[in-house]
Amino acid sequence: MIAMIRTRPLLSLLAAAAFTLMLGPVAILIGVAFTAGDTLAFPPEGFSLRWFSAALDYPPFIDAFGTSLVVAAVSTVLALALGVPATLALNRGRVPGRRVVEGLFFAPIVVPELVLSLALFQQVMVGMRVTALGALVVGHTVLLLPYTVRVVGASLALADPRLEEAARGLGAGPVRTFFTVTLPVMAPGIVSATILAFITSLNNVPLSLLLTGPGVATLPVEMLNYVQSSFDPVVAAVSVLLLALSVAVAFTTERVAGFTKVFGR
Amino acid sequence: MTPVVELDRVGHRFAAKGTAGTTAVADLDLAVRRGEFTTLLGPSGCGKTTTLRMIAGFLRPTSGRILLEGADATRTPPEKRNIGMVFQSYALFPHMTLLDNVGYGLRARKVPAAEARERAGRALELVGLSHAADRKPAALSGGQQQRVALARAVAIRPSVLLLDEPLSNLDARLRVQMRRELLQVQRETGLTAILVTHDQDEALELSDTMVILNGGRLEQQGAPRDVFPRPASRFVAEFLGYDNFPELPGRGPVTIRPEHVRLLPAGEREADGDTGLDGTVSAVTYQGAGCLVEAGIDGAGGPGAAVRCLHPADDLRPGDRVRIVLPRRHLVELPAGEQR
Repeated sequence: MIAMIRTRPLLSLLAAAAFTLMLGPVAILIGVAFTAGDTLAFPPEGFSLRWFSAALDYPPFIDAFGTSLVVAAVSTVLALALGVPATLALNRGRVPGRRVVEGLFFAPIVVPELVLSLALFQQVMVGMRVTALGALVVGHTVLLLPYTVRVVGASLALADPRLEEAARGLGAGPVRTFFTVTLPVMAPGIVSATILAFITSLNNVPLSLLLTGPGVATLPVEMLNYVQSSFDPVVAAVSVLLLALSVAVAFTTERVAGFTKVFGR
Repeated sequence: MTPVVELDRVGHRFAAKGTAGTTAVADLDLAVRRGEFTTLLGPSGCGKTTTLRMIAGFLRPTSGRILLEGADATRTPPEKRNIGMVFQSYALFPHMTLLDNVGYGLRARKVPAAEARERAGRALELVGLSHAADRKPAALSGGQQQRVALARAVAIRPSVLLLDEPLSNLDARLRVQMRRELLQVQRETGLTAILVTHDQDEALELSDTMVILNGGRLEQQGAPRDVFPRPASRFVAEFLGYDNFPELPGRGPVTIRPEHVRLLPAGEREADGDTGLDGTVSAVTYQGAGCLVEAGIDGAGGPGAAVRCLHPADDLRPGDRVRIVLPRRHLVELPAGEQR
């Protein structure tokens, strides 16, 4: 890095500016969360953990955190249960109109989430009388499908398609082949997809906005509600907790499954 | 004696939407005897890999039957066929050690764990890699991976070893060395082997029987010593490097290898019975041990008007007059009226 600064000063300056622009607001937020004062002013007045304890004492946040975790966990499992077989079929099988199907699995990224949220609210919550929690799970599962299909698909594509044939040729039936060869080869991709999906669900706002009910709201949505009435550092503290969780989860991925390996190449 | 592998009028046609489809293999009859090394040889697209994959069970023939050890196996799935397949890309399981890789087939056949480990160990020893038993495939070189792939196929004692261009991914020198090791393993185990290749040197060195395929059809079949000096068709001759198809007055199509053509100084005469023609040198390419000399035949025109000769000396130059000699015993007659 020192060498880069010396040989390409302009590029280094631009890089530094970009990082500052991206991380600046986050740094400010973290600073504000630890303030001893009463406002979101920056620089913060003093150092205190009072806003963290305030956040943990506020029942709607605790409930919302529970909701977020449940929704994230269930949706991730469902997105994997649907996405892994789908990507296997797309990658290894002969699917008619394969490109169209792949596009379909990519669609949730393209469709505006608020539109999806409204549709789910109208048709699923009101029309079918499903609870907010149910609608949240449905919505999040759909949202996470592109990630599970793509990320697992990437690790499958990197693997030699002859591996399964080799197993079959040696005497392993289709089931044995799947569990002893295909699944282990996909494992890094599945782990990465799991964590990526979980974080995406945890941090989601637009989709979850309309899908609320009595005692049911995801944490980011609850934070939004709070900010509309009170404007104090509690929100900053909750943000920092959420950020810490996401970072911890991303860090674990890197260690466990070589996250970058799936996106790199 | 029942052949280990028998193909009875086997064909494969890829059906494409709206068209008649492409015929990859047509009406192929083949019988492979126990303990023999058979190679399927031909250019890309000749159907050799398709044929191998049908024998393995990864592709179902659209016509004909495949018999393994005398029993109809046309509809049998690959895992029930007792074959040992070696792939061009080796296809070693990346998440297992070498020993586990080699033992995979044994475990799949429910061989007791201790026996499986022992047999896997012996197979690894056969290819000289027992010291690396606990390593993973990624840590190995191409040649070593190839050896492990071979050990893995051999460990299950299959009826037939199927090899799909196993040496094509190796560099030239390693290929020659691995070729010899492959033959040695086959001899030591006594396994029947079918190998697919486009490399005629490989086929010549390894085969007990060479099977030359062209456009999905069998062109010629036999021991290298019978096939090589006597190509049965223009296709086979060209494929085997017979670079000369001179048009001789009063004779049908013939062919001769460049190393068998002799160039005498103009005025000298050939021996009785040999064919001699007057000609002029048109090109000389120095090759160190000799020269590749191209000479035009007097009075001839078109593609059959020139012969190529591997001349052992460097004493000819373009424009020189020569007596082109085609020795009778090396001149091969080809079927008349053949399409290329």
